[in-house]
Amino acid sequence: MPLVAAVACPHTPQLLVRPETEDRALVLRVHAAYARVKRLLTEARADAICVIGGDHIEGFFLDAVPAFAVCVGASVSGEFGRYAYTFPVHEPLARAIVEEGIEREFDLTYSQDIRLDYAFYLPLHFTMPEPPVPIVPLYVNVYLPPQPTPRRCYAWGRTLRAILDARPERVALMASGGMSHYPGTDRYASPDYEWDRQLLATLADGRGAETARLTGDELDKAGNVELRTWITLLGAVGDARADVVCYEPSWHHGNAVVVWPIPGRAPGTDPLPGSGR
Amino acid sequence: MNHHYFFPPASAYALNRCLFRLKSDAAFRARYLADPDAAMDELGLDADGRAALRDRARDRLVALGAHPYLVFMAELRIGMERSSAAFEHF
Repeated sequence: MPLVAAVACPHTPQLLVRPETEDRALVLRVHAAYARVKRLLTEARADAICVIGGDHIEGFFLDAVPAFAVCVGASVSGEFGRYAYTFPVHEPLARAIVEEGIEREFDLTYSQDIRLDYAFYLPLHFTMPEPPVPIVPLYVNVYLPPQPTPRRCYAWGRTLRAILDARPERVALMASGGMSHYPGTDRYASPDYEWDRQLLATLADGRGAETARLTGDELDKAGNVELRTWITLLGAVGDARADVVCYEPSWHHGNAVVVWPIPGRAPGTDPLPGSGR
Repeated sequence: MNHHYFFPPASAYALNRCLFRLKSDAAFRARYLADPDAAMDELGLDADGRAALRDRARDRLVALGAHPYLVFMAELRIGMERSSAAFEHF
């Protein structure tokens, strides 16, 4: 089956647990964008959502740091304050991704027991379709240098697409992360919004393949280490023109929700539900 | 080369592990809040790491090799623990 949906979502914790310092109206606008993704995923009737996320040193600590990993458990759980999540994993699909990925020379790590990071459950809190579907957590190392190069992320995304196309399941792909933010550094209060906007224009123009030529140094400088998850997704969707559902820059974070038309359908003929276009 | 997130030196492993546990392990976080010295003893922190952590001194922690993200989220999780009323939950 071809992909049935491709989206990118932010996972800023302040969107789930809002401190007084976070603009409430902005948070609600991002929630509205999440709601559109939820409708899209529901109407796509996916059998599984493969979430490409960057672990925030939650599932993987310094005892083992894989560049790319796949969760192949029966289910996977995580918690954040008063929130606790357990999702069934689509085990046949997860296993096929590991087996086929290794066969195609991506030396993936897999885990059957990993604590789920908020990069995965935070967007799913708002976008899990109804009825809910199993997930496959796909990990890209974004925070613990040395991280995989953008070129390698893109190549993995292309291979992932080839693997998924040969499977019987209807699969939705979600990249979780971004955009510009610098948690724990002096630049926390000054994200690079201009860099974000230029990149979104590039994606809207159908030039996603250009992200494979970015360097890790550029991503780190722009506060976009997490964009490796998007670049992986871009490897899977190719040069489809992105529809930027929202770009909401908060004082510390560029929150973007983006969807890509499913390759094989002409862009513009399949508007996002509720987009009015 | 990275400007913001760098390779964590092995010398800071105990410190990073302590920050990781503060971020991700609710039981350890509770023990730390009740008795920071005993909790830091558990993980074998050295004197510099202990002092920087006790002072919640981000720049010193990072200079010792602490990962900036771990410093950030450990602080946030402790903050959520201390004043959950200040947050709106969705």
